[in-house]
Amino acid sequence: MPHVLLGLLATGDKHGYELKRAHDERLPQARPLAFGQVYATLNRLQRDGLVVPTGQERDGGPERTTYALTDDGRVALDRWLTEVEPPFPYVASTLLAKVAVALLVADVDRARACLAAQRQAHTARLRELTALKHAPSATLDDIVAVDFAIAHLDADLRWLQTTLSRVADWHREVWHEPATGS
Amino acid sequence: MKPPALLRLALAGTRTDTARVLLTAFSAALAALAAFAALNVLAIPTPAATDENAGRWSEQYSHALLREPGLRGGTAFALVLLTIPVLALAGQCARLGAPARDRRLAAFRLAGATPGQVTRLAMVETGVASLLGTLTGLALYLVGRELLDRPDERGQLALPTDVLPHGGAFAAVVVGLPLVAGLSSALMLRPVITTPLGVTRRAARERGPGPWAGMLIVAGVAGFIVGWPVMLGRTVDGPYVGLALVLLIGGGLAAMFGIVTGTGWISYTTGRLLRRYARHPAALLAAGRLMSDPWAGSRAFAALLAAVTFGAGAAALRSYFVTQDRLMREESRVAGGEVGDNPFYLSTISLVDLAVAVALVIAATGLLVAVVEGIVARRRSYTALVAAGVPRGTLGWSIAWQAVLPAVPAVLLALTVGTVLGRAFFGDVVRGSSTYAVCEASEALCADPATREQYTRITESAALRAVPDVPLEQLALLGAGALAGVLATVGIGLLFLRSSTATEELRTT
Amino acid sequence: MSQLRALDLVRSYGRTPALRGVTLDVDEGEILAVTGPSGCGKSTLLHCLAGILRPDAGQVLWRGERLDTWSEAARSKLRRTEFGVLFQFGQLVAELTAAENVALPLLLAGTGRREARETAVTWLHRFGVAELADVRPGEMSGGQQQRCATARALVTSPRVLFADEPTGALDSLTGEEVLTTLVRVAREQRTSIVLVTHEPRIAAYADREVTLRDGTVDHTGLGLDAPLIGGDR
Repeated sequence: MPHVLLGLLATGDKHGYELKRAHDERLPQARPLAFGQVYATLNRLQRDGLVVPTGQERDGGPERTTYALTDDGRVALDRWLTEVEPPFPYVASTLLAKVAVALLVADVDRARACLAAQRQAHTARLRELTALKHAPSATLDDIVAVDFAIAHLDADLRWLQTTLSRVADWHREVWHEPATGS
Repeated sequence: MKPPALLRLALAGTRTDTARVLLTAFSAALAALAAFAALNVLAIPTPAATDENAGRWSEQYSHALLREPGLRGGTAFALVLLTIPVLALAGQCARLGAPARDRRLAAFRLAGATPGQVTRLAMVETGVASLLGTLTGLALYLVGRELLDRPDERGQLALPTDVLPHGGAFAAVVVGLPLVAGLSSALMLRPVITTPLGVTRRAARERGPGPWAGMLIVAGVAGFIVGWPVMLGRTVDGPYVGLALVLLIGGGLAAMFGIVTGTGWISYTTGRLLRRYARHPAALLAAGRLMSDPWAGSRAFAALLAAVTFGAGAAALRSYFVTQDRLMREESRVAGGEVGDNPFYLSTISLVDLAVAVALVIAATGLLVAVVEGIVARRRSYTALVAAGVPRGTLGWSIAWQAVLPAVPAVLLALTVGTVLGRAFFGDVVRGSSTYAVCEASEALCADPATREQYTRITESAALRAVPDVPLEQLALLGAGALAGVLATVGIGLLFLRSSTATEELRTT
Repeated sequence: MSQLRALDLVRSYGRTPALRGVTLDVDEGEILAVTGPSGCGKSTLLHCLAGILRPDAGQVLWRGERLDTWSEAARSKLRRTEFGVLFQFGQLVAELTAAENVALPLLLAGTGRREARETAVTWLHRFGVAELADVRPGEMSGGQQQRCATARALVTSPRVLFADEPTGALDSLTGEEVLTTLVRVAREQRTSIVLVTHEPRIAAYADREVTLRDGTVDHTGLGLDAPLIGGDR
C-alpha cells in the first residue's frame, strides 16, 4: 500500500484526494481506498522522509496539502519494484480451511455440497468478469486487472473440480474408514 | 536393443502398417517369381551340336523362345525386365502409411533411440516382410513347377519344368532380395534419421517442376534416331558400335525418364489450369493437391507409363512385322510360289504384349496403393470436411479428377514417344531385289531332273520398300487399357474413402 | 425458442458407452458450454447434435424435426448450410490456401469463384489474418490456422456453430483472441454456439453451462444447467 502511493506520486505531485482517485483508476477491481487510510499512510511516509508536503491549496473547498516524492522515496520505490514477490509462501485460504473443517465435522456429502456451492459462486463471478472484460468500455487497465482475477478464479475452479473428485478419498484418509455416502 | 524388443518395436503399427507389410511381402513374392523364372530359363542346358541338330536346339520344348539358345538370353532378360514394374510397386508400397511410420520412428528418436537403432527397426520390418514374400515366391515356384510339368502329345514341354536352377542362384535371390529391400528402405528413411524433427514440418514447394522433361524426351528420341542407322551401317565390331549402343540405350532411358518426370510437369500444369478455371470445389481440391505435390503423380504413374511406352514400342514392332510379312508374301507371289503366314515373330510379339499387359496390371496395383495412401494420409482433413458437411461424393470426385486429369496427357505422351521410338528403331521395311528360279511346267515335268532345267526361268523381283502403318488400333487399345486401369484403381481406392472418413477418425489426433 | 434439442441420447463405441441418456436444449442465439472431465461424452454429444454421428437411441430435433433419421446426404447439406463445425486443429485442407479453405463452403453452395474469394478474404480480415489469404496452412502458426478454421466455420453465417475445444491447441492469449472474435461475430449474427471445453475460463464465455459426467448430464447440483447471469450484454 505505501509503495503504491509512492508510485502514484512518482508521476507528479498530488494531494490526498487525487491520490485516492488515481489509485482507484489504476487498480479498478481492487477494494476502494478509504480517505483515512490515505492520510494515515501519507503521514507515516512523511515521518520516514519518503515524501514531503510541497504546498497548500484551496479552491473553494477544504484546505489540501500537496505531497511530493523525495529522493529517499524514489530509492525506496525503486527497491520495492526490484524485489521479487515471494511466490505463494503459505498455503492459506479461507476456502481451503472451510472445506478441511467440513470434512472433519461433517460427512462427505456436506463437504461436496460446500465445494459445489463454492464452485457455483466462482463460476458466476468468472462469467461476470469475462463479460466485464469484453465490454466495449473496458480499458487496458480493466483488462489487466480482470485477467489477474480470471486467472485466479480459473485456478480455484480447477482446484474445486479436482477436490470434488477427491472428497471421498480424502474423507477416508481423515477418518481411516470406508467412505459413507455416495 | 535385444532382438525381441527390436521385433516388438518394428511391428508396433496400425492397420496401415500391416497392409504395408503384406504388400511388401506380396511384391517381394512377385519379384522372386520373376527372378526364379529368369534363372530357370538360363538354366536350360544347351545340347552339343549333332548332325540333325546343328543349331543346338533344346528339342524338348514346344516354344522357340526356349528351344533356341540364341533367344533364351532375350527371354530371360524380358523376365528380369518384368521385375521393374514389380519394383515400382514395391516402392509405392513402402510409401503406404510412411508418414505415420516416419512420425513413429521420429518419436523413437525423440525418446532417445540412436539413428542406427531406428534404421535397424525399419530395415527389420521391410527385410522380414521381403524375406517372407521371397520364401512364398520360392514355394509358389516349386509348386508351380510340379503342377505345370505337363508334356503335350509330342512330348514337348511348354515351360522349362525339367530343369532346376543352381542352388547357389536360389540362395542369392532368397538372401539378396530382402537385403536390397532393407537397404533401400534405410535409404528412404534418411530424413527421419538426420533429425527427429525433420518429418514434423515440411516447407511447401512454391515453384513447380520446369518443362525440362520435354528436353529429355527430345534428346532421347534424337539419340535413338541417330543411333540406329549408325548401328545398322557398321559391322558388329565396327568403330561406332559402342557409341551407337550408348545412344540407343541412353536414348531409350532418357525418353522413359523424360516421360515419367514430364508427368510431374503435366500434373503441376493441369493443377494450375484447373485452379484458375475450376468452378466446382472438387476440382479446386484436386488442383490444390496436384500443385502442392506434382511428384506424387509421377511416382505413382511411373511404372504404368513405362509399360505403356514399352507397349507402344511393341505395337510399332508388330506393325513392322505385319508389313514385312505382307511384303514377303507379295514377293513370293511374284515368284509364283505361295508362302503362308510366318507366325513366329507375330507370336513372339504376342508374348511381349502379354508381358506388357502383366506389367500394366502390376503398375495399376501400384497406382491403387498410391490412391489409397493419398486418402489415408489425409483422413483427418477429409473427416473434418465431411463433418463440415462436404459430401463424400465431392471428395471422391476430387480424387478421381486428380488421378485421371494428368493421366490422360501422360498416357498420350507415352504412346507417342513409344511409337516414335519403335519406328526409329525398326524404320521402314526394305526388301532388296532377289532372284528366283521358277519352274513353269506341270508338276511331273518339274519333278523330273532331266526336264526341269529347260522349263526353269530365272526371275528377278524388284526391290520393295514399305512404311509400316501407325498401329492406331493397337495404340488406342493400349491407351484405353491404361486409362481403364487408372479408373479402376480410383474406383477401388474410393471404397477406402468411407472408412477413412468415419467419425471415429475425429477422435484420433 | 429452442431450435436444437437432444432427447435421451444414447451412444456407445463398441462396448464402451459414451452417452447414456442426455437431454438438453440449445436456444436460438445462445452460447452453451458443455463441460466435464475427459471421456465424459462431450465430443460424442457434439457429434450427435451436429448430425455427424447417429445416436444409438434417443432423438435429435432440429426445429422440431427428427435430424437423426435423415439421410447422410441431407445431414451433410444441413451441416454445410445451417451448421458450422470447428475442431481443435487439423481441419484445413493442407493443399489449399487460406482463402480457398475459407471459400470452400461457399463454393459447395454454388457461389461463384470471385464472389466466394471476396467473401472469404473479408472473413479473414475480420479474424485479422487477411494477409495470409494466399498462404497454405503448412506455413502458418497454430493460431493463424485456427483463425482461418474459425473463419471457415462462420463464413456461411450458420445458425449453430459446434466448437470442440476450439482453443485447446493455442496459448491462452491467442485462444482468447480467437474466442473473443468468435463470440462477437456469433452474437452479431445470432448464431448459437455449442462450446465443448474442459476449461472453466473458456466456459465462462457461455451464457449457460451443462456439465456431463459419465455420459449423463450432471444434475447433482454440481452442474450449472441454468443461466447464472443474463446472456444479454
